[in-house]
Amino acid sequence: MTHGSARRRTVDVEGIARVEGEGSLHIDVHDGVVADVSLSIFEPPRFFEALLVGRRAAETPDITARICGICPVAYQMSACAAIEDACGTTVSEGIWDLRRLLYCGEWIESHALHIYLLHAPDFLGCADAVELAEHDRAVVERGLALKRTGNLVMETVGGRAIHPVNVRVGGFYSAPDPAAVAALAEPLRRALDAALATVEWVSGFDFPDFQADHRFVALHHPDRYPIESGRVGSSDGLDVSASGFADLVVEEHVARSTALHARLEGGLDYLTGPMARYALNAGRLPGVARQAAAAAGLGPVCTNPFKSIVVRAVELVFACHEALRLVEAYEPPDPPAAAVLPRAGEGTGATEAPRGLLFHRYRIDADGVIETARIVPPTSQNQRAIEADLRRVAQGSLDLPDDALAWRCEQAVRNHDPCISCAAHFLDVTVDR
Amino acid sequence: MSPTDPARRVVVAGMGNEYRRDDGAGPAVAGRVAARLEAVVDLGPLADPLDLLGRWDDADLAVVVDAVRTGAPPGTVAVVDLDEVAGRPVAGAPVTSSHGIGLDRVLRLARAVGNGPRRVLVVGVEGDDFGDGLGLTPAVARAVDDAARRVAELIEEDR
Repeated sequence: MTHGSARRRTVDVEGIARVEGEGSLHIDVHDGVVADVSLSIFEPPRFFEALLVGRRAAETPDITARICGICPVAYQMSACAAIEDACGTTVSEGIWDLRRLLYCGEWIESHALHIYLLHAPDFLGCADAVELAEHDRAVVERGLALKRTGNLVMETVGGRAIHPVNVRVGGFYSAPDPAAVAALAEPLRRALDAALATVEWVSGFDFPDFQADHRFVALHHPDRYPIESGRVGSSDGLDVSASGFADLVVEEHVARSTALHARLEGGLDYLTGPMARYALNAGRLPGVARQAAAAAGLGPVCTNPFKSIVVRAVELVFACHEALRLVEAYEPPDPPAAAVLPRAGEGTGATEAPRGLLFHRYRIDADGVIETARIVPPTSQNQRAIEADLRRVAQGSLDLPDDALAWRCEQAVRNHDPCISCAAHFLDVTVDR
Repeated sequence: MSPTDPARRVVVAGMGNEYRRDDGAGPAVAGRVAARLEAVVDLGPLADPLDLLGRWDDADLAVVVDAVRTGAPPGTVAVVDLDEVAGRPVAGAPVTSSHGIGLDRVLRLARAVGNGPRRVLVVGVEGDDFGDGLGLTPAVARAVDDAARRVAELIEEDR
């Protein structure tokens, strides 16, 4: 929808397509200059934080899993890590490996969904995945098969794919049967091949020439690509524990949104997610993923957000390879969960959701009842970086007609796979110019 | 053929979020249906129609239950056959939906890759309050049993 005079024009798009959930995007252009950009989202984590107070710490994985249908494991894992931190619980390596396997399932499912059904149509001139499927059925079938494999991993380890029920603070209610885990190997081998084909496919897309100079923030780990644990690092040298990072993150309330916008102390914006993880951890990818990245022309750092689809595809290779490694090494952890003894205190847990860093912090009393809860999802951390991209993309595209400009701006949002379904329900785009 | 015929695959999916008050109507009805009819597989609760992909594959009948807001009295139950409305705007369509890709597009996608369900029935339960919070409003809560009974009848009638 378009409004406006010569000096000022307004474009409304009812709902940004292919972004998980709802929100709205407003771009204000005066005299040919982008004056203001705001991405507004509604954020249920705020509601969940209030809901959690007074509940038992053991309930956090089940309750917070319901924040998001796309990345429930991320919420469960960060919740468990935070409560275990508060209680001083040590979890065995076998349990951590099983968590990592479950999380790989979520990465595979989420990345396949975003690459094939939400992001790729942008580059192929297709309105959406339906048009893509009608144009190239085989490629969409490959994406759906990848997604199914991710679901299968989540069902096998987590009991079910949406809102897994086998996760508890300390570990799992029961360790999956070794035969069931072994049966994942064959689908994962096929998924690895499909993931490699995915990298090759997306690396051939035409990408707008665009560079963004974001401060990258991601978990890092001395000897593996980060998913379920690690310290928090940044492209400008930060190296802190999850707790130290939570101390640095300042959330500001923004009037136009129920979401809080996160910044680092001192007002520094930052970006989490695949581009950040890759920039800080590319050297810890397995050889097969490194080779795929090199063949796709990715250097050690990717600074073009439109190419995030290539990084996501490389992470898909990694997740399939890592899941296969964990499946082949699997021994049921015994016991399947560590005993968690409540004590008064505070704990922080940070893990890498497919979309980026997600951290939880809880204060609990001596009986294990939650006194305060803080949940900071990747999308609220990325919001300022997404707006910075939008500002530059919009400024560079003002010669486009309204529809094309709105479309380009939607693409700039989709580059970061924002999970607004954690949130709310429609994304309206408004351009005033 | 009965609902328990093992050769016939019937799935039911509740769309919605029980932490958004009446948005939880879909999962509540779907759960009730699955409890009544053992052979019916409950896929939900689902947050997004895309979650149906891979789960409703090759079903003879998929019943998708979602909260809607059409202006009818809260608790009103309406049924549409998705093939009869797909591709065109539906008067009083289910606008209160949290979902980026519409159900009809997801069905088209599933069929484009050859494994969509034979028939999809959409059961809308008129909601009242979609704000943050737990629990259905009284009129919607009272409608859950009726809606579940209606779905069971639809499953029985579909041959």
